[in-house]
Amino acid sequence: MSRRNVHPLAHLALMTATALFAFPLVWMVLSSLKPANQLTEDPYAFWPTRWQWSNYPQALSSLPYLRYLRNSLILCTGSVIGSVTSCAVVAYGFSRLRWRGRDAVFGVLIATMLLPWHVTMIPRFLLLRELGLYNSLAALIVPTFLGDAFFIFLLRQFFLTIPDELSEAARLDGLGEWGIFTRIIVPLSKPALATVALFQFIASWNDFNGPLLYLSDPQKFPLAYGLEQFVSSYSDQTHLLLAAAVMFTLPMVVLFLLAQQTFLKGIATTGIKG
Amino acid sequence: MFRRATLGPLFISPWLVGFVLLVAFPFAASLYWSFCHYDLLSPPRFVGLENYRRIAQEAVTGGRFGQALWNTGYFALLSVPLSIFLGVTLAVMLTWKIRGQAMYRSLFFLPSVVPVVAASVLWMWLLDPRDGIVNESLGWLGISQSLWFKGATEAVVPPGWFDFGSKDALVLMAVWASGNMMVIYLAAIGDIPTQLYEAAELDGAGPLRRFLHVTLPMLSPVIFFNLVMGVIQSVQAFTQVYLVSEGTGEPAGWSLMLSLHLFLAAFQDLDMGYASAMAWLLFVVLLGATIFLFRTARHWVHYQGIMR
Repeated sequence: MSRRNVHPLAHLALMTATALFAFPLVWMVLSSLKPANQLTEDPYAFWPTRWQWSNYPQALSSLPYLRYLRNSLILCTGSVIGSVTSCAVVAYGFSRLRWRGRDAVFGVLIATMLLPWHVTMIPRFLLLRELGLYNSLAALIVPTFLGDAFFIFLLRQFFLTIPDELSEAARLDGLGEWGIFTRIIVPLSKPALATVALFQFIASWNDFNGPLLYLSDPQKFPLAYGLEQFVSSYSDQTHLLLAAAVMFTLPMVVLFLLAQQTFLKGIATTGIKG
Repeated sequence: MFRRATLGPLFISPWLVGFVLLVAFPFAASLYWSFCHYDLLSPPRFVGLENYRRIAQEAVTGGRFGQALWNTGYFALLSVPLSIFLGVTLAVMLTWKIRGQAMYRSLFFLPSVVPVVAASVLWMWLLDPRDGIVNESLGWLGISQSLWFKGATEAVVPPGWFDFGSKDALVLMAVWASGNMMVIYLAAIGDIPTQLYEAAELDGAGPLRRFLHVTLPMLSPVIFFNLVMGVIQSVQAFTQVYLVSEGTGEPAGWSLMLSLHLFLAAFQDLDMGYASAMAWLLFVVLLGATIFLFRTARHWVHYQGIMR
């Protein structure tokens, strides 16, 4: 790649590509602020004839948004706590401790990542139902306390980069493995733990399959699934649908803008080291 | 006080419990059920290869499974190469010396953080056959308008070239949201030693040859990673397929993909045996595809240099 100045035509190509990528989001926001009749009579006009901010409160009151939001936040918080704690503990066992059969067991963990979710879906559903977790957010939260192969892998790779001398010194000072884990490894791994927390938060926020399978009571729906119910019953009210979609997307966009470096680094390392 | 040798298994015990309960047991159970008739109401009844025979028959005669198989293949075959091509192109463009590079990067990445549920609402509006802005824009360009989510997609190159149907619309959605792959290419390009470019330039290589003989080979391990992940993910595509057809695969099964067909067989028809057999077939096919891709890798993936 030349590091010299770029031809104006190339610059134009980049700007066009960007515009094409960004346009759907711009169109979503603009359309969500148009009056209902504009969307049916003159849907292609760029600007709203009137900035109808009331679409938002109206969308909010057409679905139990706050209840769905509360469920989403419970789901996200629980899953993030579950994933971060369980994956960190397990990754420690796979990276900072030596024991017989460790690498073989780790190979099994890697192999589970290749298993499509379809293969385990039905028995897993029946098992969790037997355990009385059907129609409860716990069905989606409890499994995160049992670790996730991908996050364990990610954290193990990070833990391996921490010099062993630190652990040795701590052992000489009489610190046990749990102490080394909580007092040395965890504080040094904050960026990696933040990546796991971020990815798990997004996964839970967006999760649709889980609620579809395990939840039947609308009182318990998180936003992702509640929104779908809204879509099927308000399919002719585009302005409200789009307003609801914007409100659901906004937290993700804000999160991305706030944690951009964690996002980009996390994705780049999974790709290159994976 | 535990000895260090026993501490290891203790530390990994949460995962071990999860592995036994949520992976190993379901793995074995679904394999056994794939040879059974099982409707949840009565205990599983062993029927031998009946479910697999039914699947093979539907694949040959173009029944529901055959249709889902074709739809899934169509989606994967188009969306994976397109998103790789677009991702590499955009990543290369983003390495140009241009003001506002970080902003461009963020804008390409942004669609991939949009939740699938919201993206589906958005694209159903953009691709609305009557009021959608995409059809209107195609009209301005003199290209015939399409039915998108409401229409058929029967061939990779349709009879009327620009006659797009439901699967093309899903491909478009997937490609739009592939900015996370672009980030991986971008990071990998940043890791290519500049000496390689300087050497190529001394040998008189222009921008195109530098791309073909330096960038592309150095990127090949990352392209390979994205290819494998892309195939695995697109074959398992579910949420967006469910959403745009309201969980039916309609119109006329044109967007019925394997995941959705399996889900409906299990939780709508309570045909657990048939669904389990399909899941296992899917697993074996994916495993085969992954092994095949790894076999081809030695011919085109260059692991020397930064990638070890």
